[in-house]
Amino acid sequence: MSFRFVTRKVLAALATLAFVICFNFFLFRVVEGDPVANLFRGKNLTIEQRQELRREFGLDGSKGEQFVRYLEQTVRLNLGRSYSTNRPVRSDIWERAWPTIALVGVSSLLSAVFGVLIGIVAAWRRRSKVDYGWTGFTMATYSMPDFWLGMLLLVTFAVTLGWFPVGGITDTSSEATGIAKLFDQAHHMFLPALTLTLAYLGEYALVMRSSLLDTMREDYLTLARAKGLRDVAVRNHHAVPNALLPVVTLVAINFGFVLSGAIAVEAIYSWPGLGLLSYQALRGPDLPMLQGLFLVFSAAVIFFNLVAELLYGYLDPRVRTQ
Amino acid sequence: MRPAKLLFAATLIVVAALGIAAVAAAQSDDGKKVVLTVGLTSTSFDTLNPLVGYSVPDYDVWIPQYDTVTRKAAKDFATIPGLAESWEESNGGKTYTYKLRDGLKWSDGEPLTASDVAFTINRAREEAWQNYDAYVHNLTAKVIDDRTVEVTSSVPDPKLPGLGDTYILPEHIWGKFDAKAITKYAADDGVGSGPFVLEEFKTGQYVKMKVNPNFWEGQRPIDEIVFRLFTNPDAMVAALEKGEIDAAHNVPSEAMERLGTTTGIVAVEGNQGGFDEIAINAGSGLKKPHPALLDSRVRLAIAHAIDKQTLIDKVFLGLGSVIETLSPSPNPAWIPEIPAAEQFDFDLAKANKILDDAGYKDTNGDGVREMPGGGEPLKFSYYVRSNSDTAKPVSEYVSGWMKEIGIELDRKFVDSDQLGPVIGKGDYDMFHWGWTPYVDPDQQLSYFQCDQIAKADDPTLYNNDANWCSPAYDKLYKAQNVELDEQKRMDIVHRMLMLLRASAFYQVFALTPDLQAYRTDRFEGWLKQPAEVGPVIFSNSSPTYYNLTPVASSSSGGGGISTGAIVGIIVAAIAGVALVFYFVRRRSTAEERE
Repeated sequence: MSFRFVTRKVLAALATLAFVICFNFFLFRVVEGDPVANLFRGKNLTIEQRQELRREFGLDGSKGEQFVRYLEQTVRLNLGRSYSTNRPVRSDIWERAWPTIALVGVSSLLSAVFGVLIGIVAAWRRRSKVDYGWTGFTMATYSMPDFWLGMLLLVTFAVTLGWFPVGGITDTSSEATGIAKLFDQAHHMFLPALTLTLAYLGEYALVMRSSLLDTMREDYLTLARAKGLRDVAVRNHHAVPNALLPVVTLVAINFGFVLSGAIAVEAIYSWPGLGLLSYQALRGPDLPMLQGLFLVFSAAVIFFNLVAELLYGYLDPRVRTQ
Repeated sequence: MRPAKLLFAATLIVVAALGIAAVAAAQSDDGKKVVLTVGLTSTSFDTLNPLVGYSVPDYDVWIPQYDTVTRKAAKDFATIPGLAESWEESNGGKTYTYKLRDGLKWSDGEPLTASDVAFTINRAREEAWQNYDAYVHNLTAKVIDDRTVEVTSSVPDPKLPGLGDTYILPEHIWGKFDAKAITKYAADDGVGSGPFVLEEFKTGQYVKMKVNPNFWEGQRPIDEIVFRLFTNPDAMVAALEKGEIDAAHNVPSEAMERLGTTTGIVAVEGNQGGFDEIAINAGSGLKKPHPALLDSRVRLAIAHAIDKQTLIDKVFLGLGSVIETLSPSPNPAWIPEIPAAEQFDFDLAKANKILDDAGYKDTNGDGVREMPGGGEPLKFSYYVRSNSDTAKPVSEYVSGWMKEIGIELDRKFVDSDQLGPVIGKGDYDMFHWGWTPYVDPDQQLSYFQCDQIAKADDPTLYNNDANWCSPAYDKLYKAQNVELDEQKRMDIVHRMLMLLRASAFYQVFALTPDLQAYRTDRFEGWLKQPAEVGPVIFSNSSPTYYNLTPVASSSSGGGGISTGAIVGIIVAAIAGVALVFYFVRRRSTAEERE
């Protein structure tokens, strides 16, 4: 890959990020609202105290002045203080990122691996019962809204059968530490992870299946068979590697959405991640928190898109010469 | 690698994990600790700093942690001894001398003295601490000796001798901060004087409190209180039914009937004076409403065309009660009695007659009345808060009834934080919203003074959301504010509320309770505040936490993962890995063999 190609892509990504930073500020201020009045409605506050709060929240002065202050701070990576927790937005986001990365990361990984396997099986035995069964199943879970699927699993496994806790990340009354605590968390993560895995599964399975079907029509597979290779060898060494290309991009792009990917599921299972944080911030509205979250979400997408583009350029030389 | 077999193996692992989880759920740990778990939803804790935190759940962390000089009785909010065992009045009711109990200690062992009390009151006044200012604005505290503190008010203050909202903070911790730093302090030191102190706060997840061994009434028989946050109300109800939690706050109304008939669970409609009203722009603000609304006969007709009982039955699912006037306090004594003959009964014929007699006729036959003498139709803007569950159905009923009396409502849907500025600018005819009052009626009553209406230089700073201005009301407000005789003060307050009601600008229609439920199998001693009608938790001074005891022979806490289950999971995991390994190996050796 040429240096120019990489520089061009990186600069384009940075430009997008700059646009997002500016856009974020106005996005939450398009509709006129008053977070201070809303958050403190019915509280024993004098009008002077409310004025003071607005100064503190950076809501005084004109939109232009507020924007300049916001830019200065954002450039210094200071995302401000949350209206609701009174703590720096940065530390709240940092703290809540890990449960999300764990949950969505594990689910993405599982759904990618399982989805690819299902896609291979379905394509290789196309129009068999196995194909119809797996494709039908993944299509069904893929087309269900994730919050609905989540509620179904919650009602079945947590409420009716009682095998899993109904929400949260740890058993709040347990004293467990170390490995026991880890298992406690895994126990809590099982249902949300299962929901997300099932929800993402279909995408990978379908892409892998159709990609492999395309590859299977290629002449070099006929040649491979003509050489006398066994079916398994043809599939594993000749068909699958070539069919994986679109899946690789899909994985890279989807990793960009790991941080923001599970708002509904986190809300259903009270999973204390970034999705839940967004959900709570919207209620204020907690403007600094929303700005911070949207910045992080967009930055993740931009970064992984850049990775996907570079990766694609590496895997497929046609891209970088265009 | 055979994908089909790998898939089969992996599916087996999932099934195995499910099975193990079932085993894990069947067992539960012995529960050496007594843990009270309270589930709550919809609002989260913000900061646990008692100076600046504002969300409702925060108070239930401060109340058990920071005892107050006087407390509010569970029954009727009467002032009862707290850290102070007695007090004496002097200076015509402006000065109170409190005698603190002997041997008071903070949870960290430091002595709690009059100096902590004076520190809290004086710093709060000087720096106008957000949550304290309304109570200490006119107060000065003076240390007489370690156990005696003298509090003087610069004006007659009917709230005294009550100091039940002034959480006394440990000076040896809070004294370190200056005026700015003190509002930013995370308040995670866990030092308090009440029965429980903060142990751990995980934003968005839970708050844990542990028992305070130095509590002056003696250590409570509960080791820990956990407030657990749910974002999914149905999951919270399920957790209560399963016994994962002992009590739930903000139970969805659909679940109340079921919980009420479940053995071992008590559903509570906790009335705290919260109410819902339909407000009409009274026109004293920045913009006038539709001219017809300035005619008291039109407002009266509207009042007779709103069926309060139907709104409660259909929209609030029967959870709530009809109210004729604003409720300024959770204590029902502050609400005046309205004779049956004077009530705004639901009577569409009467409403139509009032409008007919006043000359509002439908001259063009389109079903909407016009101003007397023709002209502008009676079409009013009505704001619906899109983030409220009840605002939309209420608006549907109300606009239906208005149609029947020849009034058209132009419904506009906005978010609460957007409605705020709209009201300030006076850019509305009607809206539906609500309030929850403090115990002392002063605050709620203060909102309807003339000087609380938004002004042109900043239309977002206001409290008077009806844009209603009545010099007679303002005069009464000032009188009740300094009236030290409770009965006389109550009479003034009742007159104020009748004035507001007679104007028909603020049509209060329902008392809206807090919906809660608790289990009876593990703890007893749940206290309603006020007696019989109030909530058991998240009430004004939540006396429940000072009173709960475990039921004899009960086990505590939801089922955690037992050691057996952990071993089971490890075994399953190893089995799973082995299974995968086996299939992979078998395939490759087979290939080599061939």
